[in-house]
Amino acid sequence: MLPKKELGLLLLLVVISAVTAVLNPLFLSGVNLLDMANLIGLFGIFSIGEGLTIITGGIDLSVGSVFSLLGVIFIDLVANRGIAWPFALMAVLAGGVVLGAIQGFLITRVRLQPFIVTLCGLLIYRGAARYYTDDSTMGFGYGNDADTLSWLAAGRSFGLPHSFIFLILVAAILGVVLHKSVFGRYLFAVGKNEEAARYAGIDTNLVIAGAYVLSGLLAGISTIFLVFYTNSVSPSTFGNFYELYAIAAAVLGGCSLRGGEGSILGIVLGTALLQVLQNLVNILGIPSSLNFAVMGTVILLGVFADQQLQKRREAAIAAAPERARPVAVAEPG
Amino acid sequence: MLELAGITKVYPGVTALDNVSLRVGFGEVLGLIGENGAGKSTLMKVLGGVVAPTAGTIRIGGQDHAMLSVTQSMRAGIAFVHQELALFENLDVASNVFMGREPRRFGLIRNKHMHDRVAPLLVRLGADFGPGAAVAGLSIAQRQLVEIAKALSIDARVIIMDEPTSSLTLRETARLMTTIGELRRDGVSTIYISHRLGEMKTCADRVVCLRDGRVVGELARDEIGHAAMIRLMIGRDLKALYIPPDAASATCGCELLGVTGTAFPGRQVTLTVRKGEILGLAGLVGAGRTSLARTIFGIDPVMGGEIRFAGQPLAIASPRDAIRHGIYLVPEDRKRSGLILEMPVVENITLANLAAFARIGLVSRDREASVSSTQRKRLSIRAQGNQTPVITLSGGNQQKIVLAKWLSMQPKMVIFDEPTRGVDVGAKNEIYKIMRELADRGVAILMISSDMEEVIGVSDRIAVMHEGTIGGVLDRSQFSESNVLRLAIGQELEAAEVH
Amino acid sequence: MKRISAHALTGIFAASLLVTPAMAQGKKQLALVTNAAADFWTIAKRGVEKAQKEHPDYAMEVIVTGQATAAEQRRELDDLLARGLAGVSISAIDPKNSTAEFNKVAAKAALFTTDSDAPQSDRAVYIGTDNVAAGRQAGEEIKKALPKGGKVVMFVGTLDADNARERVQGIKDALAGTNIQIADIRTDGVDFAKAKSNVQDALAKGGVDCLVGLYSYNTPQIYSAVKEAGKAGVVKIVGFDEDPQTLRGIAEGTIESTIVQQPFEFGYQSMTDLIKYINGDKSFIPANKLIIIPTRVIAKANVAEFQTTMKQLLGK
Repeated sequence: MLPKKELGLLLLLVVISAVTAVLNPLFLSGVNLLDMANLIGLFGIFSIGEGLTIITGGIDLSVGSVFSLLGVIFIDLVANRGIAWPFALMAVLAGGVVLGAIQGFLITRVRLQPFIVTLCGLLIYRGAARYYTDDSTMGFGYGNDADTLSWLAAGRSFGLPHSFIFLILVAAILGVVLHKSVFGRYLFAVGKNEEAARYAGIDTNLVIAGAYVLSGLLAGISTIFLVFYTNSVSPSTFGNFYELYAIAAAVLGGCSLRGGEGSILGIVLGTALLQVLQNLVNILGIPSSLNFAVMGTVILLGVFADQQLQKRREAAIAAAPERARPVAVAEPG
Repeated sequence: MLELAGITKVYPGVTALDNVSLRVGFGEVLGLIGENGAGKSTLMKVLGGVVAPTAGTIRIGGQDHAMLSVTQSMRAGIAFVHQELALFENLDVASNVFMGREPRRFGLIRNKHMHDRVAPLLVRLGADFGPGAAVAGLSIAQRQLVEIAKALSIDARVIIMDEPTSSLTLRETARLMTTIGELRRDGVSTIYISHRLGEMKTCADRVVCLRDGRVVGELARDEIGHAAMIRLMIGRDLKALYIPPDAASATCGCELLGVTGTAFPGRQVTLTVRKGEILGLAGLVGAGRTSLARTIFGIDPVMGGEIRFAGQPLAIASPRDAIRHGIYLVPEDRKRSGLILEMPVVENITLANLAAFARIGLVSRDREASVSSTQRKRLSIRAQGNQTPVITLSGGNQQKIVLAKWLSMQPKMVIFDEPTRGVDVGAKNEIYKIMRELADRGVAILMISSDMEEVIGVSDRIAVMHEGTIGGVLDRSQFSESNVLRLAIGQELEAAEVH
Repeated sequence: MKRISAHALTGIFAASLLVTPAMAQGKKQLALVTNAAADFWTIAKRGVEKAQKEHPDYAMEVIVTGQATAAEQRRELDDLLARGLAGVSISAIDPKNSTAEFNKVAAKAALFTTDSDAPQSDRAVYIGTDNVAAGRQAGEEIKKALPKGGKVVMFVGTLDADNARERVQGIKDALAGTNIQIADIRTDGVDFAKAKSNVQDALAKGGVDCLVGLYSYNTPQIYSAVKEAGKAGVVKIVGFDEDPQTLRGIAEGTIESTIVQQPFEFGYQSMTDLIKYINGDKSFIPANKLIIIPTRVIAKANVAEFQTTMKQLLGK
């Protein structure tokens, strides 16, 4: 049983896929589907983190720059400094957690606005990555050969790309956390009405900071997958604007930028829709220059349709007390 | 001057107004009373041109209208002073008065001209601020004057005031009464809507009562009285509010020993709320009652002194701590602090105690639902189901959800801050009954209230706050409006009045 | 072509990477001003160092324009003029709008352009690559790779940069009249992941015989996408520039060949020719004021030797 919002999105996804498949049957070829699955995995993991911050009523604009900074650090550790990959991996994940914790601290304790804190994160991490590398592209260079981690991040099992498998795993875990756990309920409560949540005894600062830490951790994980996808990192462009893909996926998936709304399934479907759009531009031979325009149009249509549905729901809600009134008066209180 | 004849408004399935006829004379103050949902707001919306009536006529200055548009209403001289003030805080008084009708020359606002026209209006209203004052710096009473000045600036002949005193201090209320008197002398009529029946007595020339969308009665000047008005509103006599406790309680519950909060540094509060009693906390608005509640509940830090419960000192640094110690708060502004309006009934009820419904961090929806259903039945909360969003419920039912949240836990002390504000008479009594039941279970109840009737009617004892400290504590035998007021304004009780 | 990527983002890091060693008094000062920070310019710097060794009586320096903005270049030029510069060779970031500034420099010192020209200015000469010619070379390589004809898809960051357009033009010229078709040109906005997914999509769509990477990062992304799809050897690859992955691909035979520029020569000749110019020898300047350093084709035969040279130059 899917909620209405997700059902609508799934419908949109199916319709667009069907139209594309009719125009070019190769869209449904195994190669193409697996390529897309891989990209959905790459972009879905950090979009879920983004969605969590949006549900608390915040936003994380820094993820793209986090990829760049952690990406160059990772390659530097592995390729130039010869650190064993498990340690480099740990360093990157810890780095994501630390960056998320710093942002969470500034937002909850220092009471700075999430937009500003993470916008500064976007600028600072990007600058740090460029300075760290002297603005040159980092690659595994002349040495390096695919090792275990490369297989883990870019390989396939049961025919499926690992990034996709990992996304399903992350989505399943965080789906349970968000929709079934105490922490998840608190995330929604804090996003809808932080003050009332605090009056109910919830440690709102901890909950909000938790969302940013999770976003940072997922950004760290995504860094590894992205690095092994491109095999090199140009600090000035790596992950550029990816936070916007994540925000778009979350919003398409039903997260309200006002906070307190959204679902993991929605975010995953939103990511899938974005990747299908990018793919169909190439598969149908639409000029690359129209790529963003196609994406923007579909997002706008999706959000517009959703808003119309929302209006209907609100009208239904507004009508409810009118109906309830005579009943309430008639019963002696 | 303004006459409504047979106004009816039918919504699908509901008749909001049923053949309402009403007349406001030149310079008359018409009091309009009725429970929440009686049809007052719909009637006012008809006058404002926001809602078109299904039947009936509106006669203004001898002209009949089947309905009014917003512009027609404005041109006919009908103006509103809203319950929630609709002013632009970032602008000055004159800009607010002329908002949307700014005098212009070459498309630019003529500031000086605007100020010159607003200044005499403010003088006429006895305002102690000028047209250039920033609205952000004005008190609520002063802002109300700005709204009235706005009404006068469009040559209003009928000013509709909807609950204008809900946030005013006693002195400010008195000042508003004088202003209404002055307007009456100038021939401006007022439709005065309020739950505060005492004000009706002071200012209304005539009182009309609505119930279930119908006019159920009218009181002339000399008939206006509490009992008469209440009888009209609920259609029966209100039985005495006070429910005596099962047993007189003496065991000490919560002790405040020289507690100092952030609002009144240097002022100390020493007070005991006994287990099993309802202690009313009265005082003027701004006397520090709400900030005391915030301090006990851990929202504001304790700057000095000690809070003890059953003899044990408590360390409270956050609402979390207070809740852990069984101290709960039903806040003043339930929409902002008490409820998450968009969330369903069940999630609001379990929010403060969610961990109790969870195993390994996962919430059991079944157990939540069963507790929610129990509470709904117990408090007779009128909601369609557990999943109904709280925002769709009436004020009284919303307040009961806040209560249900705490009742589903183990309260030792509950602080009620204005528990019946915006709640209709029927639900009020239910809330009083719940408070008494809690007290009889041995819970200490601290009830902050600005409603004199409520404080005197419900409390076992009354503590009165004055400028951040306790002015005095009254036993039931000492209860009287004048005693409460004396303590509230910092005077001693007269020896003769202490029985 | 990493320099292009740096153009995409304006700098935000306040720290200037300007390197200003104290200049020896009395020696004539020469400078090479880059348009970005990149390996490309590290190699050019080796050329400058070689010239310095040959001409110890001049003081030479390389100024790296870290933020890759025209404004930063203008400030660097002003600083150099203030210090009494004798000659400078510059890679113009915004040629059309820098004419006035360049002319001001040219009035006081010898001004060359290198790598990126500013033909409207009073610069004495341009030392650099002819991208149309480089494109033609690539076109010839494509013909070699597809003797029986076929379809080509090209990949590039953006098509609004002159060098990208010129390379495409050269390839088109070379392929004109053959049975090789250019089926598509996909752009990626200098997003590496997008560059790779573009290649994957082209492979999924099928019907393509040769993939061409126009920017330095495009070729490695083609290389890895083709390998992962198991199409190595089936779909031919021709590229530009000398990314280590590209060279590896050539060595193992997955990539046919790549067209490389010679930044070492840009640096070396800029300096030696500036010295000639300052000393009144203008005979080296051709009539069109363009000294073209030819691009080289690196294929399987010469890739090992080229890799060794690169490692030496970059000190890796």
